[in-house]
Amino acid sequence: MNAVEVRDLAFAYSDGTPALRGVSFAVAEGECVGIVGPNGAGKSTLLLHLNGVLPEAPDGSGAVHVFGAPITKENLYEVRRTVGLLFQDPDDQLLCPTVGEDVAFGPRQLGLGGPELGARVAAALARVGLAGFEARSAHHLSRGEKRRVCLAGLLACESRVLVLDEPTSELDPRGRRELKSLLASIPATKLIATHDLEMVVELCSRVVVLDRGQVVAAGETVALLGDEALMLAHGLERPHVLRHRHPHD
Amino acid sequence: MHIPDGFLSLQTAAAAAAVSAVTVGVCVRRLRRTLQPRQVPLLGLTATFVFVAQMLNFPVAGGTSGHLLGATLVAVLLGPAAAVLVITTVLVVQCLVFADGGLLALGANVLNMAVIGGLAGGGLHLLVRRFGSGLRGTVTAAAFASWCSVVLAATACAIQLALSGAAPARLVLPAMAGVHAVIGLGEAVITALVLVSIGTTRPELVGGVETPTSRRPALAPRGLLVVLALVALAVPFGSSLPDGLQWVVGQLGLEHRAVVTAGAPLADYLVPGLDSSLLATALAGLAGAGLMLGVSCLLGRLLVPGKRARAEG
Amino acid sequence: MRHGFLDRHSRLQSPIHALPAWSKALATLAVVVSMAVASPSWWPVLVVAAVLLAAVTWQSRIPAGFLLRRLLLVEPVVVIVATLALWQPGGRTLFAMLVARSTLSLAALILFVNTTRFSEVLDLLRRCRVPSLLLTVLALMYRCVFVLVDEAERLQRARVSRSFSPSAARSWRWVAFQAGQLFVRSSERAERIYAAMCARGWRP
Repeated sequence: MNAVEVRDLAFAYSDGTPALRGVSFAVAEGECVGIVGPNGAGKSTLLLHLNGVLPEAPDGSGAVHVFGAPITKENLYEVRRTVGLLFQDPDDQLLCPTVGEDVAFGPRQLGLGGPELGARVAAALARVGLAGFEARSAHHLSRGEKRRVCLAGLLACESRVLVLDEPTSELDPRGRRELKSLLASIPATKLIATHDLEMVVELCSRVVVLDRGQVVAAGETVALLGDEALMLAHGLERPHVLRHRHPHD
Repeated sequence: MHIPDGFLSLQTAAAAAAVSAVTVGVCVRRLRRTLQPRQVPLLGLTATFVFVAQMLNFPVAGGTSGHLLGATLVAVLLGPAAAVLVITTVLVVQCLVFADGGLLALGANVLNMAVIGGLAGGGLHLLVRRFGSGLRGTVTAAAFASWCSVVLAATACAIQLALSGAAPARLVLPAMAGVHAVIGLGEAVITALVLVSIGTTRPELVGGVETPTSRRPALAPRGLLVVLALVALAVPFGSSLPDGLQWVVGQLGLEHRAVVTAGAPLADYLVPGLDSSLLATALAGLAGAGLMLGVSCLLGRLLVPGKRARAEG
Repeated sequence: MRHGFLDRHSRLQSPIHALPAWSKALATLAVVVSMAVASPSWWPVLVVAAVLLAAVTWQSRIPAGFLLRRLLLVEPVVVIVATLALWQPGGRTLFAMLVARSTLSLAALILFVNTTRFSEVLDLLRRCRVPSLLLTVLALMYRCVFVLVDEAERLQRARVSRSFSPSAARSWRWVAFQAGQLFVRSSERAERIYAAMCARGWRP
């Protein structure tokens, strides 16, 4: 079964600017798919649709299916628990004064409490390498640590699908390396929107190229990202790791 | 205007806290009814904004500087009930995170700056707003309302200090009102400038979060009435409260025993309510408000170009 | 910047920090209330409070210099307001009393906020039945203050790097513009935070 399936998704902002124009693709369970494209291609807007943050009221169009079921008003919270969203700016996502409370935010919305909640928070923090950070203040963390706390918040909800918006932006090389190995170790289905094409090559088996709200190409990572003409046409660049693999080099 | 601890008597602090608690409660209930869920984070961020904006310094002569207070600005941007909640939040964080403003005095500070500042500022803004249109009308009304809200808040603060016996009313009232008439002028200019800055880049942000149903204008005039009534009534009402400190001071300062007696400690200057200096202060306040209305119109004309000027530019 | 960001002390380790928040809140309230009702003839109460506060300061490992600096920051306001008392009967005694009471109350509050984390304070407020809307707004504000201060600093630096001739009128316009932009950015961040709250299963 497909974990996520998008069929002919269209969306325009309230001022009439079209953001997505008939986007379709599917992601199988356990797969890791990269979503790449230039700035303003509609990547973030697309991701917000995957767990029903957009459109504001589920319109029942059935454009987005999660594990076979379209997102409706009734299963909205169920979908949000299944699909975890990692936002681009961790400062937007960290809501609570302390790390522990923040990781507990999601599970608490699911009705969890008491020692079970504490154990889940501790396990999620240990998973991202921040064991014992519960009482720390969110604003005293480094950028990379903040992002890992956000990730722990998703893991604590036991989301089956992780949707990540620019997870490696603004991280130093070590932070990037650590985050990449962390992501590789998580078995959930993953969709990663990013400009970090090296990471896409390392983590994703398939890639969807988005430009001006449309899917312009989709397919196997190495073949697609190695296509110099395609990359240049859509404001991207063939990643260095692929240079020596390309037939013409 | 943050009153530190140690100046207010227990009775005054408790009475102010009670009034604040009830008003904030009413505002919360109202917001729960009218606020859309997506606007909850906006309240938090606006509170943060006010806190940070208060740190921005506006240079005044001689190396000193002033800063924004913000109650009226928030009332104009989000509506009066939201302003009360937002400024209350700012005061609570200032008190409980940065020890700025007293703990026992928190109720009084909320009453002066959040309740009076927000409701009077918001109410007067909506009242004056009817006489102008567009951004210029908003800016003019906001400038006038912010001056009034600062002066009213300072007056309330002075009344509380006088009721607590920390300072004589005939001195503290004109002093606080006078100083804050000047501070209020700065607040009016800053509020107007900030509104122009927001209104020209994102006009849709100026206007209030409460859903524009029939209920919306109801709170502001009522709130304004309540505030004015509170300020007017506080003088004679408070004077009948026995005041421990004042009484003891009277006991100690033996030569003044005849003046300050238990039971009606402030009888000397407050029960008539309007002795000559207080009457003069009140009249000066009214004259100031009239003058300020003119200044506000001028500010509005100066800062927001009219339709013709915009067409030419 | 008007406030030093002082919550670093609330993360120290000490016997005082380890006490439950409610006990510290009650103690602070007790000091503040007893200061409010203390009369000049009760001066021993003030001495006792001063000694107690000094002992707490020592136990809490908060640097005494820090406490004094914080007190001195507020003291001018205290003295100015207290000066008004000189014009009434028993003025000099009252003046001394007001300054002493105010200083001791302030010291108690400074000790409280520097030995208690804000998340504990929020918990305490929740137990005192403070409306949940107010609590949500408080938590969000506390969380975002640090983010927005950074944003204000970035705006400030951008302004400084581009301004060549400071005139008072122009700088008022600039600072107000900066404040306006700060609000615009805050409201945009509020939109993103709302999206994040929804994505994480928040139910209004």
